[in-house]
Amino acid sequence: MERSFFLTSMNSLKSNLTMKKILLLFICCVSAQWAAAQGKVTFSPLTFTAEDEVTITLDVTGTPLAGANDVYIWAFSNDGVGGGKDASTNGQWAASSEDGKMTKTGTNIFTFKFTATTLFGQSPAELINFGFLGKSKDGSKQTPDYKPFKFDPLVFTASQFRMFPAKLDYTDMATVYFHQDLATTVNLQRMTNVKVNLSFYNEAGDPVGSKQGIATVKESAILFSYSFIPDRVITIPAGIKLGKFSYQFTGTVKDANGLDVPTSGPVTEVVYTVFN
Amino acid sequence: MKRIQYILFSICILSIWSCKPEEFAPIGEPQNVVKSIQGTWGLTKVTQIDQDATTKGFPYKQLDITSVYPYTDLALAFLGDAQGNPGTFTITSGNSPKIADLTSGNWTVDDAKAPTIISLKNGAVTNSLTIGSYISLKSGKLIIKKGKKLNGKVILSYQYEFTKK
Repeated sequence: MERSFFLTSMNSLKSNLTMKKILLLFICCVSAQWAAAQGKVTFSPLTFTAEDEVTITLDVTGTPLAGANDVYIWAFSNDGVGGGKDASTNGQWAASSEDGKMTKTGTNIFTFKFTATTLFGQSPAELINFGFLGKSKDGSKQTPDYKPFKFDPLVFTASQFRMFPAKLDYTDMATVYFHQDLATTVNLQRMTNVKVNLSFYNEAGDPVGSKQGIATVKESAILFSYSFIPDRVITIPAGIKLGKFSYQFTGTVKDANGLDVPTSGPVTEVVYTVFN
Repeated sequence: MKRIQYILFSICILSIWSCKPEEFAPIGEPQNVVKSIQGTWGLTKVTQIDQDATTKGFPYKQLDITSVYPYTDLALAFLGDAQGNPGTFTITSGNSPKIADLTSGNWTVDDAKAPTIISLKNGAVTNSLTIGSYISLKSGKLIIKKGKKLNGKVILSYQYEFTKK
């Protein structure tokens, strides 16, 4: 009786495992198909401001527009942040403007050159991000939305955390700042004994090393900083390139009894630029 | 009326007759920049410049990072022949962060009379450095700049100030 129960249980377990494998395979297949059906977007240059001339390259492979000879762009600004506008080249959904026709450069590959301030008729200060999709002229076929793509800022905005320089690679000196006068929470405004935590990640996003509780430089009563080159903070294994790092300012505040209580700010992530 | 005409004519003749080529003092021997670069130099100042912030007029444009790490340990030697032609170089970093991928090799310039680029070469590896002001060379200072580009645009640069040893 016991042996029979054991065999039944084992069969059930095996069946469950097989089902799980099938389900996993199914999910993988569906995910791969979904990813392929999204098309692919690249930009030249990789980063740009609202005043730069940008070339979008859209690969419509796997989308309803695959095999099409004519693809029209339908672009829009400031997705999800308010103050958005349709591109001047959009035309009507059922009759795209010829100005929005993308240039076919290969099978399923289309390009479109634009300057955001001209395309959307908005100032650099107004433009935060944009999105677009590819469509047939009559709107009967379309790709998914590709969004949001952020513009590099043209206007400086002061904030509680800052990094210098704004773009750098992992061999460069980075300086992270905490402007306490701009702190957005009471704890950060009152924080003393300010330290910083650093964590480094490889290009795949996996952790490479970290260092906690590094003493900061008090540049003034309201400004704390820490300058570093990653290989002086952690040991980077040979052949590993860093893809990003994160920093977090920490410290202490006094509780109701006058005792020090640990507190910390949010973790800020910085992606390293690949200079070319 | 005729008298005035004669006077004006005389003034014109005298003005033309008084013209003569002006002699300028000799400007001296031309500066041999390449020869001035030769020698051993100690790094005294490192400035990091956010070129993108400079272009956009942002408030934080550059930072003196000399004291963050022992940059002043670094010494750079440019050797050449008696005629001033470039030869070999060595970079001794000590505990300073690296300023180039190479530590030794040969150096060349893009223009023997008015160089702007120093190329450091060892095997297949080449590093390019931009020469700053020539005037500072006369006072024993060598200013070298290194830029990092993104899509052809310099986004970040370093200015290294050396003093002749």
